[in-house]
Amino acid sequence: MLDQDNACFIQSGVSITLAGHATGRMPSMSRGFACKLLDGGQRIGIALPRSQAAEVLENVRLSGRVAVAFSRPTTNRTVQLKGVDACIVDFDPADEDLIRHHVDEFVPEVVALGTPEEMVRALLSYTLDDIVMVVFTPSSGFDQTPGPKAGEQLPAAR
Amino acid sequence: MNVRLDTLRECLEGIIPGHIVTCDPAGMPNVAFLSQVEFVDNEHVALSYQFFNTTRRNVLAGSPVRLLLTSHLTAAQFRLSLNYLRTETSGPLFERMKAKLSGIAAHSGMTGIFKLLGADIYRVLDIVPVAGRTLAPPTPPINCVNALRRATDRLASCANLECLLEKAVDCLVKEFSIGHLMLLMHDEARGCLYTLASRGYPQSGIGSEIPVGSGLIGICARERSPIRIGFMTSEYAYGRTVRDSLAAEGKLDALETAIPLPGLPNAASQMAVPIAAAGRLLGVIYVESVAFLHFGYDEEDALVAFAAHLGLAMLHHQQADDPLEDPAPAESTPLPATGPTLTIRHFAANDSVFLDDDYLIKGVAGAILWALLNDFVKRGRTSFTNKGLRLDSRIRLPGVSDNLEARLVLLQRRLAERNAGIGIEKAGRGRLSLAVTRPLELVES
Repeated sequence: MLDQDNACFIQSGVSITLAGHATGRMPSMSRGFACKLLDGGQRIGIALPRSQAAEVLENVRLSGRVAVAFSRPTTNRTVQLKGVDACIVDFDPADEDLIRHHVDEFVPEVVALGTPEEMVRALLSYTLDDIVMVVFTPSSGFDQTPGPKAGEQLPAAR
Repeated sequence: MNVRLDTLRECLEGIIPGHIVTCDPAGMPNVAFLSQVEFVDNEHVALSYQFFNTTRRNVLAGSPVRLLLTSHLTAAQFRLSLNYLRTETSGPLFERMKAKLSGIAAHSGMTGIFKLLGADIYRVLDIVPVAGRTLAPPTPPINCVNALRRATDRLASCANLECLLEKAVDCLVKEFSIGHLMLLMHDEARGCLYTLASRGYPQSGIGSEIPVGSGLIGICARERSPIRIGFMTSEYAYGRTVRDSLAAEGKLDALETAIPLPGLPNAASQMAVPIAAAGRLLGVIYVESVAFLHFGYDEEDALVAFAAHLGLAMLHHQQADDPLEDPAPAESTPLPATGPTLTIRHFAANDSVFLDDDYLIKGVAGAILWALLNDFVKRGRTSFTNKGLRLDSRIRLPGVSDNLEARLVLLQRRLAERNAGIGIEKAGRGRLSLAVTRPLELVES
């Protein structure tokens, strides 16, 4: 469903936040550390640390429902994808470069706004055995960039 | 709640946006980024409402709310559980957030897009730290609590208003390490603030005025609330912008415009703190810096407490400076006037006074000076009392809260800056003396 532009965007140095919910509509969330496109872009994988994301992982495991927002700090361009079939899979250590690449691209985005690099790297520090991946098929997607187009459905891939 | 909100306020400066998650009635979660979270108290935060979006729909439909906050200093993250209470669309909190958001918008290239529609007040139900590596917080540039203690100690040694105001400004520079500041007094009758002292500008701007309600200083005065901005924004530049808008509204006539308001043209951080006591606004402390985020919540707290202390002391000294019924001291013999004649021109329409065609001051301070100089020229009088000035029909002070002492300090400073051969000085409690060293010619226009 993602066009090429948005597919590139969500894999670049953007802030990633993954949300789920428990019974009683109680939402939960955690920062994502990388994004991977699977099955030719049909499915999305979000890498995140178990130690920070225990609650949202449990919510996702029970409901399968997930929302993930991607935002570029320097432009506020924001995209949100939602799915109802999310599951948790092991993180393939061979994909660690995805995280390194994400952090390296995210750092200058945040440093440009006045935050020290050391802080950004601390925020996204991890141990590989702590990382898991939430995989889902986007069932809807929205442009959430502040401005006149906020809330519009994303253009579908051709 | 194990973590107190007032210990993590750096997360609320808008450097790293908060992440807010909600859930719709059909059970689909939603994520949004928040430009601004404002500390209200340890049980409440206010979130900026800028757009009617999915988050707002979900909140109004009864969704629980979770918020992820991140410290830009330590990388510490906190998850908050919130319960929506109400939305405010005016008042001190709204204005504080509107001003701050203007700075955040300018910093993130969103001027004109980020616009505060309301301040959503939430009760904080829970704060949980998120696991992860954190950094030691940087050493703060000053210890605000100690600076406050030292500053209030120093104010306690003052015996009159003039000393108090001088020392207050000195404390802001020396104890709080503030390089650029103004102390403005409130003119209740005219609905404006006039600069009584400043530091860190090429021109002092003493006597310059700003209307209550205009710019950062004026809004602070109107709302009686501290207003703090961490990033440069043209929306709250007060000098030229404010004057241009007043000119467009035809309100400039009533305002002191001959004396330019001082101020940094490129201030990134600005903070205005009201000085109030006994339910009255007495003035405003304004501080600024070219560095962004120079003033944080701690500096705001310290200056608010300092201003509260200063306000009570000002009120005390204004009342204590009322004249006593003791006999007037003997008139001192005026010094022999030498040098070229100084022509003093007075325009009765607005009590403006010019020294040799150079504008000095207008309004009440102008009327006071004109009365003093007339008594001096006609009767050789150099000694005056506050009580006498209050009763003087030529001066027309505006009632009980006349701020006479502050107006005298203003006049004294304008005369000292001009250094044209006229000076006034305190001569004991409730008394002042006039010193003239040049021959005078008074011209009523």
